[in-house]
Amino acid sequence: MLGQLVVSGVAQGALYALVALAMTVVYRATTVVNFGQGDFVMAGAFVVYVLVVLAGTPFIAAGALSIALLCAFGWAVYRGLIRPILAGPHLALAMMAVAIGYALRGVARLLWGREVLPFPRVLPQGSFTVGSTVVSASDVVVTGGVVVTVLALSLVFYATALGKTAQAVFQSERGAALVGIDVAAFQGTMWAVAAGMGAIAGILIAPITLLYPDLAAATLIRGFAAMTLGGFGSFLGAAVGGVLLGVGELFVGAYLSSRLIEITSYLIIILVLLIRPSGLFGKKIAVRV
Amino acid sequence: MRIGERRLDDPEAHTVTRPSVLWLLPLALLAVPLVTNDYTQYIVNLTLVYVLVGIGFNVVVGNLGQLAFANAAFYGIGAYTAAILLYHYKMPLLLAIAGAGVVGGLAGTLVALPALRGIRSFYLAILTLAFGELMRWVYINADAWTLGSMGMHVPRPVLFGYVLASEKQKFYLFLVIVTLLVAATANLLRSKVGRAFTAIRDNELAAAAMGIPTARYTILAFAWSGLVVGTAGALYAVLVRQVSPEAFGLLELILHFGIVVIGGLANIAGSVLGAVVLTLAPELLRDLPGYEELLIACLMIAILLVLPGGLITVLDRLRLTLLFRERYHRA
Repeated sequence: MLGQLVVSGVAQGALYALVALAMTVVYRATTVVNFGQGDFVMAGAFVVYVLVVLAGTPFIAAGALSIALLCAFGWAVYRGLIRPILAGPHLALAMMAVAIGYALRGVARLLWGREVLPFPRVLPQGSFTVGSTVVSASDVVVTGGVVVTVLALSLVFYATALGKTAQAVFQSERGAALVGIDVAAFQGTMWAVAAGMGAIAGILIAPITLLYPDLAAATLIRGFAAMTLGGFGSFLGAAVGGVLLGVGELFVGAYLSSRLIEITSYLIIILVLLIRPSGLFGKKIAVRV
Repeated sequence: MRIGERRLDDPEAHTVTRPSVLWLLPLALLAVPLVTNDYTQYIVNLTLVYVLVGIGFNVVVGNLGQLAFANAAFYGIGAYTAAILLYHYKMPLLLAIAGAGVVGGLAGTLVALPALRGIRSFYLAILTLAFGELMRWVYINADAWTLGSMGMHVPRPVLFGYVLASEKQKFYLFLVIVTLLVAATANLLRSKVGRAFTAIRDNELAAAAMGIPTARYTILAFAWSGLVVGTAGALYAVLVRQVSPEAFGLLELILHFGIVVIGGLANIAGSVLGAVVLTLAPELLRDLPGYEELLIACLMIAILLVLPGGLITVLDRLRLTLLFRERYHRA
């Protein structure tokens, strides 16, 4: 029982981690919290749905196309909508992110009405047992996919020149620009990466949750919970926070009440921010005035 | 800066609505029921509710400059409080509405308490977002009081033994309450308190250095916002006579954001304008799923990019041109 909960929880949590990581990428690159990330996830899944179900494209090609499309969209959003107001107050940036997400949701609803769509079973079926624990193949694929993404991100951010660029821009945009870094190009790339990660998350989440325009809201809040638990701005924190949230949700459902699963993430956000706002791995964030 | 142009971070963006307008407009509105039928009167009443929502939300978002995502929660808490007081406790109408305002204010205080621990900006946003979603869960699960996800029916409003059966009768009650609260908010923002809000928005550290107790004012702003929006929720409950959990979710919240951003942040007239635009537009588009969202989203994006002061700046410029006077800059 315990092992089963952990295995399923990790697979679930890996997806939350992916959402949280994408938001962390955007946050580190532009200090914007992307309230539209949930809608990127939804959009990525919808593109795949259209290609696979309506156009008959093979799943691998549809997935790749969806990721590419979302990357381009993320870049365009940054250049067209975020960059022009980046110097303005946080408030406007948050509103912009909300509005972009809302627009995506509107487009989805325009095309699909208020239906809930069953997503095609694209992940491998079947399962195997380790001791008394059943591990499904899709759990392995999902978790593996997220682990690879996290490793790739860590590699890029901690072992390449791009990582150094990220660090420099995060510390001081003007300073980075002065030493010759093309800040706009870097930030655009990071938005593209985050949107692409959203597409990956969408492709992996949708087969589990079904597909509907409001999928975005639940995803967004769980991503926030993972980010808050792990500590804002920390990649390791986002990954660990996501996995802990996934496992925690299943434990709450199994040992307390299934009615509480839905609010686990809300309670985590509230408790963490009240008790230890920096989360597990974050820097101190409280404003002392 | 050109005359008539406002920016989000412009300290002068906090405009003061002239008292005469505040009282003359409601007087003129008294005549509205002469030209409406029951449906259009319902739309007018709904607009009044959203005026209150916008005014209350703007205190926190526009004047205090905090990212607060709990507004739909305040709205829902007010609506449910009024519905519960009317349905279970058979309270008089005015008392139930006042009760909703008080409970809304308490909810605002509660949400802002983390400000004492230094939670601001995005963290406050995420915290309030979680609070709002948590409340939706409470509406569904506290079914002894709220009757669960089916929602509850609000009894026919009775004022001093007189049944408010038609929309026109409700209108006069709404107009009085909305006028009083808008005037009170305008006065509050014009006072030392309002200036403290503006100081905190523009630079909290500097405000604190000047001796403004910033945490206390942050809590006060949230409490007032909760009170006004909670009252709006009560009016909504009386108007629609049906409250259910899905009416107070993220979609409602984004509508509230739309009202303050599209109308004009930190601007009372802007909130009124935003409420009018965003009540009418969805009514016209209601049979086309998706269009309402797209319209609100595109309007918000356009405003944020090219007209940070909101639609109200257009009216302001128009007025300036008409008056041909530079009355815009106030001390």
